[in-house]
Amino acid sequence: MTAPSPPPRAARWLARLVARDPAGPAILGDLHEDFVARCRSRGVAGARWWYRREVAALTLDRGIHAALAPFRRNGTVHDLIRHPGWTRDVALALRRFRREPAFALLMIVVIGLGVGATTAVYSVLRPLLLAPLPFEAPDQLVWIENDGNRASLSSVTSRASNLRDFRESTRSFDGLTGYFAFFEQASYALQGDGRPQELTGVGVAHDFLDVLGVEPAVGRSFSVAEGAWEGPRAVILSHGLWVERFAADAGVVGRSLTLNGEAWEVVGVLPASFDFSSVFKPGVTVDMLVPFPISDETDRWGNTLSIVGRLRPGVSIEQARADVESVLGGLREAQPERWGLEARLSPLRDYVAGPFRSTLLLLAAAAGAVILLVCVNVANVFLARSPRRARDVAVRKALGATRGRIVRQLLVESVVLALAGGAVGLGIAVLAARGVAATNGVDIPLLRDVRVEGTALAVAFLAALITGVAVGLVPALRVADGAESSTMRAAGRGASQGRGTRGLLEGLVVAEVALACVLLLAGGLFLRSFRAVLEVDLGYEPEGAVSWKLNPGIPFESRAEMADFYRQLTAEVADLPGAAEVGLIDALPLGKNRNWGFRVVGAPETEEPRGLFPHLVDPGYRAAMGIPLLDGRDLSWDDTGETAPVVLINQSAAETLFGSESALGRQLNSGGSEEPWTIVGVVADVRHVSPEAPSGIQVYFPIAQLWGFETLDLVVRSERNLADLAPAVSATLAELDPSMPTRTYTPLTASVAHSVSPRRFTLRILSAFGLVALTLAGLGIYGVLSHSVAERRREIAIRMAMGATGAEVRRSLVGRTLVLALAGLAVGLAVGLPGTRVVESLLFGVTPADPLTLSGLSALLLAVAAASGAIPAIRASRTDSMKVLRNE
Amino acid sequence: MPSDTLGEFELLVLLSILRQGDEPYANRVRDDLEAHGRRTVTRGALYRTLDRLTEKGFVRWSLEADRVPERGGHPMRRLAVTASGLEAVRRSRDVLRTFLEGLDPLLDGSR
Repeated sequence: MTAPSPPPRAARWLARLVARDPAGPAILGDLHEDFVARCRSRGVAGARWWYRREVAALTLDRGIHAALAPFRRNGTVHDLIRHPGWTRDVALALRRFRREPAFALLMIVVIGLGVGATTAVYSVLRPLLLAPLPFEAPDQLVWIENDGNRASLSSVTSRASNLRDFRESTRSFDGLTGYFAFFEQASYALQGDGRPQELTGVGVAHDFLDVLGVEPAVGRSFSVAEGAWEGPRAVILSHGLWVERFAADAGVVGRSLTLNGEAWEVVGVLPASFDFSSVFKPGVTVDMLVPFPISDETDRWGNTLSIVGRLRPGVSIEQARADVESVLGGLREAQPERWGLEARLSPLRDYVAGPFRSTLLLLAAAAGAVILLVCVNVANVFLARSPRRARDVAVRKALGATRGRIVRQLLVESVVLALAGGAVGLGIAVLAARGVAATNGVDIPLLRDVRVEGTALAVAFLAALITGVAVGLVPALRVADGAESSTMRAAGRGASQGRGTRGLLEGLVVAEVALACVLLLAGGLFLRSFRAVLEVDLGYEPEGAVSWKLNPGIPFESRAEMADFYRQLTAEVADLPGAAEVGLIDALPLGKNRNWGFRVVGAPETEEPRGLFPHLVDPGYRAAMGIPLLDGRDLSWDDTGETAPVVLINQSAAETLFGSESALGRQLNSGGSEEPWTIVGVVADVRHVSPEAPSGIQVYFPIAQLWGFETLDLVVRSERNLADLAPAVSATLAELDPSMPTRTYTPLTASVAHSVSPRRFTLRILSAFGLVALTLAGLGIYGVLSHSVAERRREIAIRMAMGATGAEVRRSLVGRTLVLALAGLAVGLAVGLPGTRVVESLLFGVTPADPLTLSGLSALLLAVAAASGAIPAIRASRTDSMKVLRNE
Repeated sequence: MPSDTLGEFELLVLLSILRQGDEPYANRVRDDLEAHGRRTVTRGALYRTLDRLTEKGFVRWSLEADRVPERGGHPMRRLAVTASGLEAVRRSRDVLRTFLEGLDPLLDGSR
């Protein structure tokens, strides 16, 4: 049998690079063999993770030993380890830093920023891309959905009968389960024990937790009886609700709660490690699980289920796919009238993390660029210092210090700096990870599992340390090459840096500016995309309006009674001082996602039914949302169950369905109604799925004619401060129905903020990186230039003594800086611009070569370069040439 | 400069190669050392030790085409202890024997 999946490509490449000795091919074979064994025992994801770690350890081992080999041969290692006086070396290092606080502080801040930023990003990345999902054997879990477009939830959810048939007839699964995907449309009012509270519950098949391998923290999961139609009412509380509302009292299990006026028994509490929404529906708070029956009754509701399956050990997803397809084929033949017989299988991890993969990889690349920038910066500053250090070292060597002792001293200095910088970085990473984990309402899965990632911390820290050590050793190695006498002679003359060193330093500055340019380019493009998304015309006015979720406990006898209740409710709220417009809808834009089939009356019978996005509204909704009416009339309370059914459609629907003809008076069949719906008005398009997605076909049904909702949202628009109006609205609602939770209301702007939250999140990180990059580049230029000025003070003094003015000296230094910055900019753009094509799919409303971004970032970089170069230049121009020359 | 004395880990590696019989391959040696040597053996440490033993002339090895398909087409390294390797093991054994002589009551008694 061959490996079910090859080892990770990058790690394999690294292994090949590391194992280049004659035994290398066999080492690769050993790794491969163990990988295959691990795939079998622990699953592919675990094995790939193991392989990466194993190669990383091997690389580190070989790297360290290769680096130490020359020292081992000439006895340096012996000197290094055996010679006493470690504490004295540390003390010496600290004393040196006290003498050069600017240098020490610069290095600590630079290393801290790099280590902190990189670690924070990898910590965010890990739960989503690298770590296994928080379930038992998560590699075996697969997501099963209908074969539609993911932009519309009803085209990817399945019918209950599909789940039942898969359970009965497939052989690839150890278990198949599902949850009610439209759970947000219902809500539960928790009554008794103080104020009513609005709770969100997810309907799940009774075996949901068993299939995922999640053990309740207290109590049990649902029984088969509870999972049946009209079975005993049971709830499993989320860990969060249990702690907040029930003070983590284990005695709550077995107690009865009043939800929507009915008694439900608490049978269990979810563990803290399993947060339903964090995995399946990020950005939503889920308070409890309730049983969702897989029965004929729920099957009639249509495509409502999201299905999760657990593969039998040893069964691949391809085999499962073939299995499910053959079951579906049999069903299609046996029941030709049955619809919705389709299935698409993907690993659960891909479903959860897939949409965010490219964004997170982009952030990882950006973090990589930041740590690279840090290394360049560290190298830069250490190199700039190296001539001065070389003189110290030469003196010590002449006084009898062995090479090992000198190397150790330099090593200790680097290590102390790296440790201090690492500590600062750890602090930054901890703060960032805590901030991210505490973020609520960001539409990215698993953010609550973000912790500081130890491996990333170690890698970033080691990178900075190794750079510091490697570059810090340069003067020691130079001296040991027997160059001490020339070094000392040079020191005696106060010579400037060699042409070679200065060239290297300037090359590093160019590299820094180039890296900063790439990061700023990414950040700039995301900033422009974000602004473009915010500037999208949503079709309604989110500002100045708030919404309340209404879940009345009144059991309405008839549609007319229900309509009267809501008519009275909106009238009373509209009478409140300050309430300008009031309306009702069952699915606010940028929240829910669904699709109904419909046919235009008079269209050929052969035409496939099309999909529409339904809104169930009252006559006040359009005005309350500020959606313009383009043609025809508005809905009215006079449109009742007794009169002809009427609807409004949006502009896109009118154009798509009727072209240039008028839509008014045309009819649709939809919404399970016998009678066709007559179009009486056309309204502007509303972006209901996301600001980026086009509107599609939208239809507004009057609630008085279509009673197909579980809860409604009350929208109140006011010219006044909404916070002042809110208590009055709550009081009015509570008067109408005391059992209804009414205290929480949401500004409409919150749903906009939620839908752009992943973009905002990415933008924040990229901006932080851009800022760090800019700072590092500035510090790098400043550091190199001030050292170069210090080294060249004699040359500058001579030039000034020969008649050069301060202004000329300043111009020449700042000019040089700008030349370097321009070179960096050119390199950065040459690398970055082709790179932006990779992220093109993540952008919105902006081209990768956006002129505004390019000119903005160029101006910013040049300004920072000029400013960083100006300070040392001004200092140089104030050189008292006579004094310098006398001292030299 | 390679010395002809053996470190503890080097001795264990040589002994383990000898114990493998027909299958003296690095992965088997590593499994053996982890299972019976009561220690975690990192890949890097084992390969480095094998390199050192080769350098000292105690081990020689040859690549042979893979016999198991799980190796992804990579060859296996067949290890063999050389005559001087055997001699070094013998010397270590004798030294250990000399030093252990008469200590059995003490070592067993403290159990």
